Amino acid sequence: MKVIKVLAILVIVFSIAISLIFDGQVFIAPIAEKLAPGMESEDVMKVQQRLKNWGYYDGSVSGKYDLKTYLAVMDFQRVYGLPVNGITAKDTLEAMGLTTYAQSGAAMAAASKVSDEQLLARAINGEARGEVYEGQVAVGAVILNRTKDPRFPKTIAGVIYQPGAFTAVSDGQINVPLDPNSTVVKAARDALNGWDPTNGCLYYWNPATATSKWIWSRKIVKKIGKHYFGI
Amino acid sequence: MSIREKLLDFKRRLSDRKMYSIVIVVIALVASWGIYQYKHAADLRQELDNQYNRAFYDMAGYVNNVEVLLIKSLISSSPTRTAATLQEAWRQANLAQTNLGQLPVSQQVLANTSKFLTQVGDLAYSINHQSMEGKKLTEEQYQLIEKLHGYSVSLRQSLNDLQNQLSSGRLKWGELAKKGTKLFQKTSSQMPNQQFENIDKTFQDYPTLIYDGPFSDHLTSIEPKGLTGDNVSSEQAKQSVINFFGKDKVEAVTDIGKDDSSIIKTYSFSVKFKNAPKEQEAKIDVTQKGGHILWMLYNRPVNEEKINMDQAKELGRKFLEQHGYKNMVDTYYLKEDGTAVINYAYKQNDVVVYPDLIKVKVALDNGEIVGFESKGYLSSHCERNIPTPKLTMEEARALITSRMEILSSGLAIIPTDYKTELFTYEFKGKLNDRDFLVYINAETGKEEKILLIIDTPNGILTM
Repeated sequence: MKVIKVLAILVIVFSIAISLIFDGQVFIAPIAEKLAPGMESEDVMKVQQRLKNWGYYDGSVSGKYDLKTYLAVMDFQRVYGLPVNGITAKDTLEAMGLTTYAQSGAAMAAASKVSDEQLLARAINGEARGEVYEGQVAVGAVILNRTKDPRFPKTIAGVIYQPGAFTAVSDGQINVPLDPNSTVVKAARDALNGWDPTNGCLYYWNPATATSKWIWSRKIVKKIGKHYFGI
Repeated sequence: MSIREKLLDFKRRLSDRKMYSIVIVVIALVASWGIYQYKHAADLRQELDNQYNRAFYDMAGYVNNVEVLLIKSLISSSPTRTAATLQEAWRQANLAQTNLGQLPVSQQVLANTSKFLTQVGDLAYSINHQSMEGKKLTEEQYQLIEKLHGYSVSLRQSLNDLQNQLSSGRLKWGELAKKGTKLFQKTSSQMPNQQFENIDKTFQDYPTLIYDGPFSDHLTSIEPKGLTGDNVSSEQAKQSVINFFGKDKVEAVTDIGKDDSSIIKTYSFSVKFKNAPKEQEAKIDVTQKGGHILWMLYNRPVNEEKINMDQAKELGRKFLEQHGYKNMVDTYYLKEDGTAVINYAYKQNDVVVYPDLIKVKVALDNGEIVGFESKGYLSSHCERNIPTPKLTMEEARALITSRMEILSSGLAIIPTDYKTELFTYEFKGKLNDRDFLVYINAETGKEEKILLIIDTPNGILTM
């Protein structure tokens, strides 16, 4: 019984200590031009939140620029072709759609462009990360072709999250973090810039794993990598 | 020890009282964990169910509104009133479609319903534009709206039937979404699928409707104007590929198939280069008619940037000229991943023809062309019959708010949502430190379009 009492007291003391540590955190909000390891601020939280949303960072949104954040920033910089130094300076902030100057039109547009790019890149990552490069662009192009077709939702998010439309969404593969060396972001950009290796296809399927009989009633236009593309 | 003996041994050990209580505790723990998980899953399923229900009821509501608004638009006699009604119908149809996209029913089942909603929206949108200019509905448009109204009535009825089944609890969305269970597939899931399929069938005869909307079927099948020349063989197309990259650079060109079902039919090739690793291949599509390059993608790592934007623009322009695309001027660009995607538009006698668009991707390390896309050019390029503008530049300029400071101006042909073209004056100007492009129709003086220009460090975007 003694042992249990001691344990219980220890647990209580620990939890109080932990809650004190977290409550005691004061977030200062400087107008940061540059965020670097060791800093602690609300701006760091914003950066962590973005990195977390996009799957580069799996730590807590603590506002502390720690090692994990530093590594996540480096991964992000690698994907975005920025100088890889782990420091969140102006160029990195802008690439994230966070800017030091007040939300100007340019920053807002850049932010909305980044979020489209990221969502499309994640969908490509979930559906076709093992595919050849133009196969990845082709999957992105199919999603964009759907937004232009009257039979489908009109937005990128609407098409991607349409129930049952993509297996990568149904089974959560879409949330798999992007590999920094992966070409999916580049492929998403090419698709958004108008490259369409499928010449206007609306469907694709893997002939080896497709379970739907209906999909075979589609007319096959092209085969790229492992996927058939059709209309 | 045989299995039987082992079992007996286990039983003997259990008869020890301590063991019994331990086993009971373990079972209790596992059971409560299971109950918790089950409840949790049930909660989530309920939540999902509620969301599907909301989307469905919302959609049914919006479809009701569309139906009412369509019939109203037939009654109102003044063009402004019609415009206001149709604008609302357009908005409601859009909302209905957004909710439709959230239902867990397979896309192929809903395709035509979705298409119907889009076309109602597009029709309303285009008639709305016409009505705003004070024009009344033509007899044809009147009949078209009447026809669409008929469809919306039957859609509304089918949705109401389904709504009754859902609210009486005979159907559940969650059961539908979970396709894995065979039991559900056999019973309840078949029913709503059929219901939706029935709705769809009633619309199957309409997709050939003709109207000037952006998504109309007949417009998407328009003959590409820039696709000139005779049909070429695969061998001739291969030659075009070699000419495109340059004989001295190409190691091998492999035929990887052809596309006979798209509007622009193509041959596909993959290209290997000398002085490049084997796995680095370019992919390229060549049109079967005329042997034009439709698109090319060459994904390779880009080294340190050595070329600035002006040099890149010039390299792209020279490349186009060498390959027979004369009079192309660069318009906008975007710098990403060490490459620059530059848009080039055709220029005919000082008029920039924006629909005739070619995108060239230049690698900024050595200036190599690593991407090419000419769908816009091939779809619309031809020598236009450009009239003399009815308005002078000064007259057009006077039509723009004096608060805007004009920086530059010129003549341009721009595409519309309806795949037609407009002859306009293009003015670039500043207002409140923001850059704008304003397009004034060179023949009627109508303000056709306003674009916001966003100058980012990586390029110029428009909105």
